[in-house]
Amino acid sequence: MVASSIQASAQNPVQERILVLKSAWNQAVQLRDGKAVEPLLGNELIYIDYDGTVMNKGQYMASVKSSALHAEQVTNEAMKVRVYGASAVVVGVYREEGTRHGKRYLHRERFVDTWLNREGAWVCVASQSTLITH
Amino acid sequence: MKSLALRILVCGLVTGLMLEAALPQTEDELAARTMIMALENIWNNAEKGGDAAALSLILDDAMVYIDEDGSLLTKMQFLEQVKQTGPQLQSLVTDAMSVHVYGETALVAGTYRVTGVARGKAFHREGRFIDTWVRKNGAWLCVAAQATPGAPGDVK
Repeated sequence: MVASSIQASAQNPVQERILVLKSAWNQAVQLRDGKAVEPLLGNELIYIDYDGTVMNKGQYMASVKSSALHAEQVTNEAMKVRVYGASAVVVGVYREEGTRHGKRYLHRERFVDTWLNREGAWVCVASQSTLITH
Repeated sequence: MKSLALRILVCGLVTGLMLEAALPQTEDELAARTMIMALENIWNNAEKGGDAAALSLILDDAMVYIDEDGSLLTKMQFLEQVKQTGPQLQSLVTDAMSVHVYGETALVAGTYRVTGVARGKAFHREGRFIDTWVRKNGAWLCVAAQATPGAPGDVK
């Protein structure tokens, strides 16, 4: 099996597809749209947030809809997608700016997502973030 | 001597994994789980012992490691770090691990606790990790690993 790797300007259709899904995910977070994020996630999702909180799919979707969170700008930087047959690993930087409990925040987090191709649809089964502090 | 024994164990496991590739799916998944847990143990022992050579055998050349401060390390950078920090570690314990096998890809999620002494000062760190493994030519190799600090006892 040969892994292929690209920057965000992907040409490989699988890599491009996953980058599109990542954009859709960001938009769903920004709009607090739990329904939009649902089809992007596998039912067995393991989500580890930047503070070490671990969530399943239901908990993560609830956090997206949380009224305490108001993400005004969500972007990804420096993304690389590596495809391994029916799975793909995405590494990048997630930048989120907004307000939480009325206070402004700005996070830059390094993330790794693992995506699986299930009957032609790519879903994320694991996502972990680590706050960039160095 | 410990390092040599560890390398022999790694080679044995890699060979075993290649033989197991021919087993039926469910047995293959079970075997994959067992082997990946064994590889995780090898990882801990190698990291604790600063044994970059043993660790190198179970990491893909394109492996990426996200450290606790969010820095991105290549395989070579991570191995260099292991060589330097291994001697500082007194204990490295992983716990609450779950293995999820999806064909030729597997995930391991768990918690870690590290204690040691650096520059005369004791340290204690803990958090959560996910390792992503991919089977290549019958051998499982880690392609991505990430650590996120936090107190596992406090999380949801």
